[in-house]
Amino acid sequence: MFLQFLFISSAFLTIASAVAVLLTKNIMHSCVFLLASLIGVAGLYATLGADFVAVTQIMVYMGGVVILMLFAVMLTGGKDFISRAQNLLGLPASMGNRWTYGIGLIVGLVFLLTNIKLLMGITKSLPVKTITNEFPSTVNEIGHLLIKEHVLAFEISSVLLLGALVGAAIIARPRKQN
Amino acid sequence: MNQTVVSYLSQYEFYDVLLKLFGGNQGLLALTIYLLLGVAIIGMCATIGGLGTYAERKISADLQARIGPNRVGPYGLLQMLADGVKMMTKEDIMPFTADKMLFYLAPLLCLTGVFATLAVVPFSSGFIMADMNVGIFYLVAISSLVGVGVFLGGYASNSKWSMLGGMRGASQIISYEIPVTISLLAITLLAGGMGFGTIIGRQGGLPHQWFMFHNPFAFLATFVYFIGALAETNRAPFDLPEAESELVSGYHTEYTGMRFGFFALAEYIEVFVVCGVAAALFLGGYQIPGISIDILPLQAVQFVIFMTKTLMLYYVVIWIRWTLPRLRVDQLMSVCWKYLTPMAILNLVGCAIWMVAFDGQSIAEMILGGQH
Repeated sequence: MFLQFLFISSAFLTIASAVAVLLTKNIMHSCVFLLASLIGVAGLYATLGADFVAVTQIMVYMGGVVILMLFAVMLTGGKDFISRAQNLLGLPASMGNRWTYGIGLIVGLVFLLTNIKLLMGITKSLPVKTITNEFPSTVNEIGHLLIKEHVLAFEISSVLLLGALVGAAIIARPRKQN
Repeated sequence: MNQTVVSYLSQYEFYDVLLKLFGGNQGLLALTIYLLLGVAIIGMCATIGGLGTYAERKISADLQARIGPNRVGPYGLLQMLADGVKMMTKEDIMPFTADKMLFYLAPLLCLTGVFATLAVVPFSSGFIMADMNVGIFYLVAISSLVGVGVFLGGYASNSKWSMLGGMRGASQIISYEIPVTISLLAITLLAGGMGFGTIIGRQGGLPHQWFMFHNPFAFLATFVYFIGALAETNRAPFDLPEAESELVSGYHTEYTGMRFGFFALAEYIEVFVVCGVAAALFLGGYQIPGISIDILPLQAVQFVIFMTKTLMLYYVVIWIRWTLPRLRVDQLMSVCWKYLTPMAILNLVGCAIWMVAFDGQSIAEMILGGQH
């Protein structure tokens, strides 16, 4: 019952805020709803017993990505985005017109049906799992996997991040005066 | 294994009695225990936060040879209630051009972020809401909600002072998260786990068994953590987001009444949490010197020991605030990036080498082990 309660509230938070992200016209509000949606996803991970992934989700998105987004929006003038008359393609209003809605609907339907078809196959073949209150730790397993089997991917991604860091430092470096 | 307060209580016989009372519904019983304890812990920490404002004023008065609050109740102890009533009854003003939704949301985000950290604060070996395996990581992650709250508070007020304060607050919190997290990582290496139960379990009750004196690098890490944590809670000498000489009062300039009270309360509770983490990680937490058995009455002793250590650190935080002058913004950033972060990385590498070279023994173990 406890887990169902957690699952339903997380799922509701995720979906409701995802819809709110689309419906609101204020870009700052969109960012905040996105934050709520990402927290909901972390809650879904937690109900599945993936504690480390859940906390990493909070750490990366709440502590990093969303704050960065808020910074970027604020420094580039968030208020101007509310009353934009045209979008980037020159179409009236940012919400699109008859054609874009039509194309969006068709693409969405195709995507939905394909996904349902794929997921049906997977869910049917999975063994039925009963929900328990037992949560074994995933930290040790993830640590072992990262250092042993996936060490190459781990190292390559860390080199990539280091490169990004050095690049950012070079761009932000004060230039020589002359 | 992830331990919770429910799984701790289920060892004892009265849990079965309770379970019968709930008709054998374990989920409902767990939910009830969590709710009750959550209310208890939040109530306790809100009281500590309120008393923190009293302690702050009283200690600052002592340091500056003043008297401090002494009118409401004995020694002015009820000052916090008077403040609460005052804040509740004040007019709730919102700037005309403010962003309504975010203006209302910001103080709540701050408070939520701080209250969420209370779930893993180890008051005693049983009285910890959830002793997760990812305890410290969770605490660091969820407390970044405070940064979002500070930032949004500054943005939504639509005032230049608030804006500058909010930006300073967010950048400061993000920057200082790095040395703080790396220092915590060094302790994680020593303990071999991220849960608070694991970390405190590897320490003893006496000072030479604490992680602070485990090796020279851990000793340095203690101070790096404490300085970084001071900056993360926006306390002086790092209180630039609310520097009153430049920014009126920073990100909460436009807030009145209880909304301002939420920001203040969040700050004081966050200081308590940060001190609690320092006590748990570096100062042995709730360990009772010389006793390692675990029975229910001893939980109270553990609780008292943990609170004593935490509140002593709380005193140090207030003491620092009223002793040191405020840093400049550029000094703040150079302290973080040029001194604390390299030191934290050095501590991490040092602790790793120490664990390999000396087989995980602390200095005290090596000295005492040599005598036998």
